[in-house]
Amino acid sequence: MPSIWTSLASLALIPALFLVATRILSFKTRWDPCLKHCFVTGGSSGAGLALATLLAQNGAHVSIVARDKAKLQKALEVLETVRHNPQQIFRAYSFAVNTEQGSVAAIGAASEPFDGHCPDAYFLCAGASRPGFFVEQTEESLKAGMESTYYAQAFSALAATKAMVQQGVKGKVVFCSSILGYFSMVGYSTYSPGKFALRGLAETLQSEFMLYGIDVHIAFPGTIYSPGYEEENRCKPKITLKIEETDDGAQPEVVAKVILDGVRSGKFHISVDFIGHVFRTSTAGSSERNSYLLDWVHAVVGYIGLPTWRKMWVDNLVVKHRDEHEGYLRERGLCSVE
Amino acid sequence: MFGFSKRWDPHLKHCFATGGSSGAGLAFAKLLAQNGAYVFIVSRDQAKLNKALEELEAARQNSQQVFRAYSFSVNTEAGSAAAIKAASKPFDGRCPDAFSLCAGASRPGFFVEQTEESLRTGMEQTYYAQAFTALVSPMRHRKPWSSKASRLKGKIVFCSSTLGYFSMVGHSTYSPEKFAIRGLAETLQSEFMLYGIEVHVAFPGTIYSPGYEEENRVKPKVTLKIEETDEGATPEVVAKIILDGVRSGKFHITVDFIGNVFRSSTAGSTERNSYALDWVHGLIGYIALPIWRNSVDSTVLKHREEHEVYLRERGLLS
Repeated sequence: MPSIWTSLASLALIPALFLVATRILSFKTRWDPCLKHCFVTGGSSGAGLALATLLAQNGAHVSIVARDKAKLQKALEVLETVRHNPQQIFRAYSFAVNTEQGSVAAIGAASEPFDGHCPDAYFLCAGASRPGFFVEQTEESLKAGMESTYYAQAFSALAATKAMVQQGVKGKVVFCSSILGYFSMVGYSTYSPGKFALRGLAETLQSEFMLYGIDVHIAFPGTIYSPGYEEENRCKPKITLKIEETDDGAQPEVVAKVILDGVRSGKFHISVDFIGHVFRTSTAGSSERNSYLLDWVHAVVGYIGLPTWRKMWVDNLVVKHRDEHEGYLRERGLCSVE
Repeated sequence: MFGFSKRWDPHLKHCFATGGSSGAGLAFAKLLAQNGAYVFIVSRDQAKLNKALEELEAARQNSQQVFRAYSFSVNTEAGSAAAIKAASKPFDGRCPDAFSLCAGASRPGFFVEQTEESLRTGMEQTYYAQAFTALVSPMRHRKPWSSKASRLKGKIVFCSSTLGYFSMVGHSTYSPEKFAIRGLAETLQSEFMLYGIEVHVAFPGTIYSPGYEEENRVKPKVTLKIEETDEGATPEVVAKIILDGVRSGKFHITVDFIGNVFRSSTAGSTERNSYALDWVHGLIGYIALPIWRNSVDSTVLKHREEHEVYLRERGLLS
């Protein structure tokens, strides 16, 4: 006579096996960028440029969008050096994509060489980080943070959606969030909210775009050794730098490769390294999982490792920083004398 | 796990509540009043504020309590600062001890029908309305915690939603904002350890309030269909659970079983309420959430044809 525990375990096993079976048996055809038109925002530097270059190497038509014309010109030269075949079309466009109008104009311009057909895949890498203490922020800086993290991608997604739906294109939208879209800590009040918001948007659209056959992907890289990262560290609070000193980063090319692999194999959330996998699996909730079994392993590691890291390292360092921070506030006249 | 932190007592604390003239915000304000707090409510509608003040008076516990209602728009730094200044006046300029940030509204719809304006409005009403109040709360100017144990610890209570843990069709003007509130709360929970200010963030599901009826008027049919099996709760029930959570020092506060399952399945490195109990909820989530999700996806896929007609009617297909 099976005990109640055996019965419960079997009950749990049935849905688990069902899900494993559906994963194993769903042979998703790997997406091939060859001769697809790929639209890359933030495509003139860092991970965006690395992705654009990789797409070009794989035979895609590539349109890169950014603001700086000089950087765009240099980026275009880089794309030419990896040309795969003479049919490929490479273009660079200078537009500000953090408005619907700018995004619509950028996509319109990119569609011209293709008789008005809109791009097939949208890699939205635009974004920047300007860390700092919350106590030093203003309405303006919080809004600027949201502009450069969330709106920089949301309006491109909006324009892309309208174009793809209208033209019946079963394309792809790839958002670039960050590991700071899975968790946050001191110093990131102008960055994390926007990166979390991108996840919220991607979660909505991954569901909603089943109405159109459009795939949604979202990447959560950690530190990327790019010009943007150096800029970011110039204004980052000391305490945040201290907490991050043990972090390993990755080169833009490495990150781009992992992201493209994830897009090709149809992954919804794309994490870039072990820590990323641990965070992804520990925060998944009802998000579509990549590997039901492997995720379990990562999640167990996370269940034990993450609270330990959080309490012993992050929280501990912040609390120790109190006195120094009080001095910092006094110097800036931000501390009321009581 | 073994930290017996003293339960926070609202009695004679100065509590500032945005979105405090209706729904869960008002229910929370009344509960604070019932527990002996000084309560200052802020929203835009003066008529609703007047009615709300009467309800606070009905909950008065002692003659010392002060209740005030202010009409301000808190989705700008200036508006939030003015509201807090007004609330600090009766106390010789001393700022509130606790901030309950319930301001927020939902206007669901298909992404393909949104505009820059509607996306920005969603962010204004739901994220900035809470972020700017948190920004200007003069608590941030308090002297950082010292060894003086008598120092009152300040509190900030954000209001996210279960739609800050997951999302689905129809919520592109709401979910990002609710996720963003979580992102801000996660940052500040860490950063405010520098000041001894405690951060809480509530994740209620459906609340049967006037706001909910408004929301359902514009909600896409397919979203309504998916949500038809959802159970909601009254504002009073939600307010009670949130206050209990704040009193017992919980960081994330969820309101029902589903909320607990989502909370423990998305926690990551977020401070947990109960390490052992979360394991149970997390395990249930690991098995049940993907199954539930499959059925959500299935409903969306079945809606394709009807949606195509909907798009044609509106000229959104070429």
